Amino acid sequence: MLAAYVQYWKINLLTIAEYRADFFMWFAFTIVYHGTALAALAVTMLRFPSMNGWSLREMFFLYALWMTAHELHNALFFNVVSVPEYIREGRFDRFFVRPFDTLFQVLTVPSRTFPDGFILGLVTLAIATHVAGIHVTPFTVLTIAAVLCGGAGIDLGISLFVAALSFWLIRVDTLRWIVMSLEQDFTRYPISIYTRGVRIVLAYVLPFAFMNYFPATYFLGKHDAAFGLSPEVGLLTPLIGLLWTALSYAFWNLGLRHYQGTGS
Amino acid sequence: MPFAARAAGASAAKNACVPLIVTRDLRKVFRNAKRFPGALGALRGLFSPVYEDRVAVAGLSMEIERGEFIGYIGPNGAGKSTTIKMLTGILVPSAGEVEVAGIVPHRKRRENARNIGVVFGQRTQLYWDLPLVDSFELLRAIYGIPQDRYRRSLDAFIELLEMGDFLRTPVRQLSLGQRMRGDFAAAMLHEPPILYLDEPTIGLDVVAKEAIRTFVARVNREQGTTIILTTHDLADVERLCRRIVLIDHGRAIFDGPIERIKNEYGRERTLVVRFTETTSAPTIPGARLESVEGMTARFVFDRATQRVDRLVREVSDRYSVEDIAIEEPELEGIIRHIYTQGYAGEERSA
Ligand SMILES: Nc1ncnc2c1ncn2[C@@H]1O[C@H](COP(=O)(O)OP(=O)(O)OP(=O)(O)O)[C@@H](O)[C@H]1O
Ligand SMILES: [Mg+2]
Repeated sequence: MLAAYVQYWKINLLTIAEYRADFFMWFAFTIVYHGTALAALAVTMLRFPSMNGWSLREMFFLYALWMTAHELHNALFFNVVSVPEYIREGRFDRFFVRPFDTLFQVLTVPSRTFPDGFILGLVTLAIATHVAGIHVTPFTVLTIAAVLCGGAGIDLGISLFVAALSFWLIRVDTLRWIVMSLEQDFTRYPISIYTRGVRIVLAYVLPFAFMNYFPATYFLGKHDAAFGLSPEVGLLTPLIGLLWTALSYAFWNLGLRHYQGTGS
Repeated sequence: MPFAARAAGASAAKNACVPLIVTRDLRKVFRNAKRFPGALGALRGLFSPVYEDRVAVAGLSMEIERGEFIGYIGPNGAGKSTTIKMLTGILVPSAGEVEVAGIVPHRKRRENARNIGVVFGQRTQLYWDLPLVDSFELLRAIYGIPQDRYRRSLDAFIELLEMGDFLRTPVRQLSLGQRMRGDFAAAMLHEPPILYLDEPTIGLDVVAKEAIRTFVARVNREQGTTIILTTHDLADVERLCRRIVLIDHGRAIFDGPIERIKNEYGRERTLVVRFTETTSAPTIPGARLESVEGMTARFVFDRATQRVDRLVREVSDRYSVEDIAIEEPELEGIIRHIYTQGYAGEERSA
């Protein structure tokens, strides 16, 4: 399995070399995308110097934390978004006739993926950590790494859940779109600014708040104004990522038994 | 490459006398929830689904021995692809049993996958954006094929399937015939003891078809690979298969050697007579005139009740004859007859 994974990355790199223009366009897009989001954040914060007790520097860190986890997910698990299409078109068949786990095979469909966004995220996060004045110890580095993995796990768990739904439903695009916009819109600000309903959703239903809000309160030593939880709750992120991934994977396996393919 | 080395795992070796592939009352019913549009509709479908059932395979029992080459045929929608998908572990049967080399495919999908190679003519298993060699490299890693064995088989495939010219072209730029050859190589790189071919010659020209026929015939003969071939080209079947399984509406209506189906239906023979002059409405007692075209007439007779020598004498006594030929029915004609009239083998042979 490792050999196959290595081969997959080898092929990815080779194809990127072939499609250089495409790659640079994507990279430019990633920079513009996150740059715009951060600029919008800065403009907002010029008008409100503090948002529910969060300064611009702290919000920068909040965003960088989400961005890096999300880009880690994109680098490793991006192919999951193609699953509904594979299923609808019957192209999923092939994953059944090869001697590996179907999900593993989905993740290793050569796709010109490169962890450029993740590297950009790491740089941004390093800057943001510095700007936010977080005292960095080896332990901080370790916990940040764990939180990033957990965040990517939450992302994976949720996208895998939506993908697995398509074993039963032909179209899940709308649902996927809703989930994606929720994630993009509601991870930019501290969740304490939202109404109670939204907060509950972000903490307990689609736990995007664990990708950045809760861990950020921990690293920044802030009081959680949303639920009044202790900052250490932020350290639960890896656990929640694992839980979501595990549950979605079980759901996925259930879906496999339901796979009907297409008629031709 | 001795056959023993490629045998289908320990469980198969243990039951050497058990058929390689067994199905018993195998059924597949597709149950599709009626779909409602949109996200809300999807939710509604989730909570109060309305189902439509469609029986694709309706109780199929068959046994296939190691090394056989089966022609699995039937009209469109008969359930051929569905059967293959159950044998490969893609679909979970609705009822009945299936075992391939001692493994229940949908239970031990990954183990089963090591024993099988699959070619779906309609849909490539190759990666669209990659050149063939890259797909092959990936498969080498997936199946853990040792480097030297990989090189050896790949070289053999390149030669047999004449793939040298397009190995480095991205799959999406390949012609259908080229792509199909790539698919064959991809399905066989790990030297599986069982090969499923679902319409592998669809849309190919005569040359490509011949290349592929020669190739699979050789694989079956030299490596003892068990092959199940689904096709609408009965020339493929006639050329390659010893046994055919004919299914219709999800049920096997004939299972046996090609000669038998020919014998059962081959009771009808055609006597083709070429006269020396134009003859309108010729008749021979005991034969039915099928057509007259110019100076050539075709008579159909029942081999079991009429003697050929008498018919020949009869016609040459009555008319001035230039040439006489007797045509055996082709598989194609027989199958067409069965598709349209239904199979009546049981009554006939009783
Ligand atoms: N995924 C599916 N969902 C619903 N019905 C299906 C599905 N796949 C096949 N069927 C139905 O099952 C029946 C058998 O289909 P199948 O594809 O096995 O036929 P086939 O013998 O391979 O036909 P063909 O020669 O046209 O390929 C058909 O009535 C088809 O409509
Ligand atoms: Mg078919």
